[in-house]
Amino acid sequence: MEVAWLHLLPLLPLIGAAVCGLVGKWLPKGWVYAVALGSVLLSFLVGLRAFAGLGEGVQLFHQVAFNWFSAGPLRVDMAFTLDRLSGALTLVVTGVGFLIHVYSVGYMDEDPGYWRYFAYLNLFIAAMMTLILGDNLVAMFVGWEGVGLCSYLLIGFWFTDEEKAYAGRKAFIVNRIGDFGFLIGIFILFRQTGTVNIAQVNGAALPLGVASLAALCLFTGAVGKSAQIPLYVWLPDAMAGPTPVSALIHAATMVTAGVYMVARLSPLYVSAPGVLALVATIGALTALVAGLIATSQNDIKKVLAYSTVSQLGYMFIGVGVGAFFAGTQHLVTHAFFKACLFLCAGAVMHGLHGEQDLQRMGGLRKYMPSTHATFLIATIAITGILPISGFFSKDEILAQALHTRAFNFLTLTPASGIHLTFLGPAIYLVGSFTAFLTSFYMWRCYFLAFSGEYRGPESVHPHESPPVMTLPLWILAALSVLGLVLALPPSWVHGTALERWNWEHFTEGVFARPRGGSPEEFSALPGFGIALLVGWAGWAASYALYFKRGLAGDEVLTARAGAVRRALANKLYVDEFYGRVVVRPLWGLARGLWRIVDATIIDGLFVNGIPALIAWVGALARRFQNGDVQRYAAVTALGVAALLYVFLVRGG
Amino acid sequence: MDFFHAHQAQHYLVLGAILFALGAAGVVLRRNAIIILMSIELMLNAVNLTFLAFSRFPLVASSPTGSFLSGHAAVFFVIATASAEAAVGLAIIIAVFRSRTSLNVDEFDTLKL
Repeated sequence: MEVAWLHLLPLLPLIGAAVCGLVGKWLPKGWVYAVALGSVLLSFLVGLRAFAGLGEGVQLFHQVAFNWFSAGPLRVDMAFTLDRLSGALTLVVTGVGFLIHVYSVGYMDEDPGYWRYFAYLNLFIAAMMTLILGDNLVAMFVGWEGVGLCSYLLIGFWFTDEEKAYAGRKAFIVNRIGDFGFLIGIFILFRQTGTVNIAQVNGAALPLGVASLAALCLFTGAVGKSAQIPLYVWLPDAMAGPTPVSALIHAATMVTAGVYMVARLSPLYVSAPGVLALVATIGALTALVAGLIATSQNDIKKVLAYSTVSQLGYMFIGVGVGAFFAGTQHLVTHAFFKACLFLCAGAVMHGLHGEQDLQRMGGLRKYMPSTHATFLIATIAITGILPISGFFSKDEILAQALHTRAFNFLTLTPASGIHLTFLGPAIYLVGSFTAFLTSFYMWRCYFLAFSGEYRGPESVHPHESPPVMTLPLWILAALSVLGLVLALPPSWVHGTALERWNWEHFTEGVFARPRGGSPEEFSALPGFGIALLVGWAGWAASYALYFKRGLAGDEVLTARAGAVRRALANKLYVDEFYGRVVVRPLWGLARGLWRIVDATIIDGLFVNGIPALIAWVGALARRFQNGDVQRYAAVTALGVAALLYVFLVRGG
Repeated sequence: MDFFHAHQAQHYLVLGAILFALGAAGVVLRRNAIIILMSIELMLNAVNLTFLAFSRFPLVASSPTGSFLSGHAAVFFVIATASAEAAVGLAIIIAVFRSRTSLNVDEFDTLKL
């Protein structure tokens, strides 16, 4: 249905960003808060209204705001589509975004750059809305780059700290690598289909090779944005930004854009089953590696960052095995509990004067009851030891991976089939082991921070955060629990009032089905039993090691497998490896280009060389102009004599 | 007919050439401005001699204008120009001498600026 108000969703936060950024410095603090929070809240209400309007009769709302540019067959509109998927994500982004805005009022209150902070945050919401709602790939790309820009600005928010500014640049550059692939993917799709409209691209029947190439290129963008192997290295460093930013951008929303993009283009991806297999494999590997690294980190935000990378891996498993609903469902539930976890970490840091090191926490349960309770709820949600949201959404992914038929027809030509039937079960095993790791490191984090005795310096007195910060925590914790309604297996809620809230049921018809078909009917119960066991095993291992011993638990592990732990604590030396293999050669190349091409050839040969040549010729010519008229006369006479000789004697 | 018995222009032309060369050498080699002016006069007169020689011993049988007096006419122009040149040249020399108290042309190289 064509409507005329969808543009409000990105426009309102954009106005908020403009007001805060341009005049916020001179406005009273309360006004900046009102503008920043109000614009996101209004956007949320518009989203709610739109969401409520989606029903049996109305599949989607669509609006062409304006024609951005046209060139030949290329027509790019600033146009928005709100269907069930983008509508739900709109609510997540503006809703969670609003809560984090509220939280930020408490968190950033004492920072002199608060107006700049809120301008960036609003700009981020606007860009994210453009990304989610954009009805063509170019509009999506605008949002995609916009969120990247905001991410860069907010990671390096305290830019006077060189290390934080560096982290911002790292995030930006690593994302650029992915975005390059995204752009190439758009070009390929435009060349093949003659349009950049997502619905039309999805509707086009593309040859397998082209579809695979385009899907692969686009997935490169997703790998960068969603921090998957091999481009995940920026996300842990992105924790240099303010903690609410980590919660909003680097956990709940922006980093899931890659998953959203793959899900949005599900028809393209199911027509490229080889790429789907790659997506699932990379997701599984990322989940595993990030989960392993998270077990040995001592910075509370780094633990959560690697946890985010790991959970994003799960989402890619979901979309990779063709269960797009499962991947996006985990996206939504993860947004709730991971935002909650990050905000709790922020509250902990707030109460400990910026302390991030788990080694100097402990016993915070006494001092921060609300933070403790909400962290506990969110930890239960992510580890899945009790069946609330994370349990169901994660295990839906694992069950779909185990039973998937997406890899049964990895056909190069329709006739010759390549069957990767082992891949689904293999991913299931990796995912289940990662679930164990998830449970282990999250409970380790919980035990080290909240149980035992306080280990920090005497001078720091832990205290609870103000209500403006704890209220969002409680709401997000509640959502982490209620998220289970989304994620229940559809057969459990069939015919009940809850059915319309069920994500799989809700997104019926939004996603394409994999070529091999959907999994056959399977009973969810055995999978859930195993998942529960795995979750409890992780809890038990963590409890045995850390509950009584506290920090000494790490030493037990170090005694058993010191080398492994050291490698994990050093993030498997991936940054060092990239430094050697990518950054240093590039440095060398850049240095060579600078020294040889720039300094020697351009500066030396052209910029300075040509004037030097002219000066040299001039110096030579200057000898002839010595002001001595007699010499001129002599030369003239000799010249005339020579001419006469040539013309008269030699006969010219 | 060899050179020494020729009643033709050769002798005058050779003399003119010698005078011209002497004048040119003087212009190029001498350092005193007055001598240089005198050398220029010598070159002009060498040219005059050549004009007259060709006027007296024309290279063609008949002139398209009816006579060969145009050579003489040219000489008069040269004499007139030369006297004007000498007047201006001497005036310049006097002016230069007043400001530099020298007539040595080696010292006058301000043209290169």
